Amino acid sequence: MASRRTQTIDDDSPQTAMTKLPANFKPRPRRAHVLDQTAGPGSPKRHELSDDTLVIGRGSAADLRLDSDDVSRTHAQLLRVDDEYSIEDLDSRNGIFLNGLQVHAAVLRDGDQVQLGDVVFIYSEGS
Amino acid sequence: MGFFVRFWGVRGSIPTPGPRTRRYGGNTSCIELRSDSTVLIFDAGTGLRELGVSLLRNPPREGLDLHLFLSHPHWDHIQGFPFFGPAYLPTTTLTVYGSEKNENYQLLSGQMSNAYFPVAFKDLSARIVPKAFKKDVVEAGDFVVRRFEQKHPGGSSGFRVEHGGRACVYATDSELDQLLADQQQPVKSPRMLRRLPAPLVNAVKDADLLIADAQYTDEEYPTKVGWGHARANTVVDLAIQAGVRQLALTHHDPMHSDRDVDAKVLTAADRARTVGAELEIFGAREGVTLRLDRD
Ligand SMILES: [Zn+2]
Ligand SMILES: [Zn+2]
Repeated sequence: MASRRTQTIDDDSPQTAMTKLPANFKPRPRRAHVLDQTAGPGSPKRHELSDDTLVIGRGSAADLRLDSDDVSRTHAQLLRVDDEYSIEDLDSRNGIFLNGLQVHAAVLRDGDQVQLGDVVFIYSEGS
Repeated sequence: MGFFVRFWGVRGSIPTPGPRTRRYGGNTSCIELRSDSTVLIFDAGTGLRELGVSLLRNPPREGLDLHLFLSHPHWDHIQGFPFFGPAYLPTTTLTVYGSEKNENYQLLSGQMSNAYFPVAFKDLSARIVPKAFKKDVVEAGDFVVRRFEQKHPGGSSGFRVEHGGRACVYATDSELDQLLADQQQPVKSPRMLRRLPAPLVNAVKDADLLIADAQYTDEEYPTKVGWGHARANTVVDLAIQAGVRQLALTHHDPMHSDRDVDAKVLTAADRARTVGAELEIFGAREGVTLRLDRD
């Protein structure tokens, strides 16, 4: 049935066509997910996350290097899946604490406190 | 040897998506227990859908071999099943555990009758195998699972899951407060330890992790008596009596925001502290994995 929104594109295929967007509609700009280091050697420091995987550790192979004896050479891995970051323990000596709870892995959420040894991060979700 | 526990759904009763529940999560009950070679799934609430997505990201070549346990067939514990991707693959083997009568198998298939859902249970491509507990014990891969009865409208099962000398108890939809000898005690003397029946305490005894229904605060419970869920403080007392190491409060009330869950956890932790119990308490949260086979 015809309505005011229906246009005839060609003679035999009437389709509903979006004639105009809401006046101020535009795609949102992207904002990076961020880890702010708030304690431990090297703090304060901000890390904007862009890679799909990122190893955090004391060793030279780490992508995000922390100069702390409490941190293992490859301590943890950040992994982006569906634009969310998870952190996972890579068999570290001192583990990962998420808001005080030792976890093996976790999908990170805005405001989470992540502690590796004496290093503390606050995670901020981008968009 | 590996003993991992991942929370996929921690909400009670109905999914609650949205900003108020973003951190703990809005999916209904689903927990994954995993060793290096076995995957167990407890409850098939809406969290099961995302577990399915995750399992299909890196499926083993020989196909998935999964073990499914259901606490009971209330909607929030089965609703994810029709959306569980691995059930549609001919390479998947899904063992569904129940009693000799196989009522779980029938109840899962019932919700897929065609008035409710477009795909029929019999058309699922996976090999779906019913398996019965014998005297409330069953082996599933390299885990041993024991079943125990809980107080809930229509009944529900709790599970004690053991592997490599560690134990995790999954005990949701359980109105502990109706099992108290003096049900007025929490109102008359709220701070007094609430004694639970010995068979229940034994089922939970010395668990490394207890994941328990703690839907209500003491203040909320009086208007919810008989609804089948526990006061968080009563769950704390069960954990203390059983000598549990870690307690995960779950089946969060759909009315509770992330902040409400935080408050519930703090109150529960206060209670454990006053008794002097060495018990770590936290709110079960979607997307979090714990490892039980360390230290
Ligand atoms: Zn429930
Ligand atoms: Zn129920």
